[in-house]
Amino acid sequence: MFTALALALTTSAARADDGRRPIDEDWPVQSTGPLAVDGGLVLALPARLETGLSSGIGAGVTRGRRFAWGVRGSWSSATESSLVWTVSHDDFRLRAVAALQQPAGRGVFALRLGLGPTFVYEHRTRNQGARAGLTGPDLETSALAVFPAVDLEGVVTLHILGRWSLVISGGPTALIADGALRGGWTAQLGAGWQP
Amino acid sequence: MPPLLIAGCGRLQGFGGEAPPLATFTVVFQGDLAPLRPEGVTDVHALRVALVWGAQWLTEPFCVLPAESPAAAQVIEAGCRDTFGFVPNVVSVSVPIEIDVPATLTLTQLPAADVMVGDVTARVAFGSLVVFDDRDDSGTLWLAGPFRGPFNDGRGGPPEPSRAPSRDIIYGASFVTMTAPDQRIAYREGAFDARSAFYPRAGCPPPPPGFSVLAAGGFSAEAALAALLSGGLPPEDPSTCAVSAPADTTIAIAARAPAEVQAVGCDARTEDSSVRYREPPSSFDYASERVWACAHLPSFDTGGGSAASDLIQLVVSGRLGDRCKGLSHYTLRGCFEDVNCAMPEWDLTANPPDWWPCGP
Repeated sequence: MFTALALALTTSAARADDGRRPIDEDWPVQSTGPLAVDGGLVLALPARLETGLSSGIGAGVTRGRRFAWGVRGSWSSATESSLVWTVSHDDFRLRAVAALQQPAGRGVFALRLGLGPTFVYEHRTRNQGARAGLTGPDLETSALAVFPAVDLEGVVTLHILGRWSLVISGGPTALIADGALRGGWTAQLGAGWQP
Repeated sequence: MPPLLIAGCGRLQGFGGEAPPLATFTVVFQGDLAPLRPEGVTDVHALRVALVWGAQWLTEPFCVLPAESPAAAQVIEAGCRDTFGFVPNVVSVSVPIEIDVPATLTLTQLPAADVMVGDVTARVAFGSLVVFDDRDDSGTLWLAGPFRGPFNDGRGGPPEPSRAPSRDIIYGASFVTMTAPDQRIAYREGAFDARSAFYPRAGCPPPPPGFSVLAAGGFSAEAALAALLSGGLPPEDPSTCAVSAPADTTIAIAARAPAEVQAVGCDARTEDSSVRYREPPSSFDYASERVWACAHLPSFDTGGGSAASDLIQLVVSGRLGDRCKGLSHYTLRGCFEDVNCAMPEWDLTANPPDWWPCGP
């Protein structure tokens, strides 16, 4: 993957003397502004569920060049079962972000720090409860909780065509729950748009 | 998103927290056990009540057809269990119980598919609450079985192992037989087939979906046989029927002599009325502690389409002191799976054992 990325980032330097046209001529980049919007698929360790993989969508907007700031949000969900319970956790992450960015060819490397709350909506269903005729809280329970959290992500943006780019990010996360620090990770693959 | 907006803020539990029971039954056991204890039993060790799911069982033809001789009638009396009795399949949960003190029986698992009768669109399970003295301290009711007579397996292998006898003593059950009033635990999924002959309660309301407690007054054996011959189910007196939710009912079980109720702790080796005929062993003290008779094979028990047999069988009851009734069938010729097989696995008709009391 890194080989392919390096090739893509240096392709703009290709000259016509080897018979190829510069990629910038066929795939021109038009992004010049400080504003960047991105969105895509999110994979993450569930914030409070003991097991499973949380998947969903996320999006964000940043403004700036070498130093950028902005906001991000994501939703992801994981459902897992034990003998007794089927538990679903929806994680809603809201973050204020600050990023240090370094352009390189058609791409941008960035290190992004996010701070904000993570809302976790839990829905539990008693296995076999519906078949047994259970109703109400004996059959299902739900709860909502919020936790302070921080993310540190590496971000790679590769301009593809015009104002569109491929955005890959990922890194460790941490939140405070029950007085303890709980670690995790998050990753996103998506598209960016920069005017 | 709407559930998120209406969800109350609270503590996440994940997979933790106490699991709500799927059903809870309240049981009270009444009576004095002192005069009911079997001979040689001086105390009640650990009284418990267990939920026992019932098996779909058919008695064998020899037990329901008219006896061909007084000796055969005696064998039927000694070796055939109640045709309309409750037959256990699986023992579920059990809890300690004291006399006149309500006990709570909590189910955290549904009955498995192997105790339910019907398909996935309409199936039902019936259970009996059995009060027993847990004399082996196993914490559960140990089902017993009849001790059958010896036989040659004809395959050179070791003799069939006999399992250890159950030491538990049964003192009462909510559902003993369909010919007496009963209270049974029911679990229903999907629709209910009113023509089902699985512990039928014709004339009573069907069990509701999920768990319930059903009551019925019972029917007579004569009425049951008459209904079966006419292709129907024996009717219950509707005034004796009752249906209630588990939480709304206290199930009362009266103490009874173990000899009257111990069959609810006796499982059945075969549940489809099939009979396994055996090769006579080289020696067999069949008359010791057993009741026996020589009899023709039941006329409709001739195997898969083969001709009726002229064989005479030796049918032997279990030992008279055994807890569970059972029969052993011997023939001089036959196969393990079909007594009327064309190529018998054993044929002693020309040279029967010296002890063989019946004709060829």
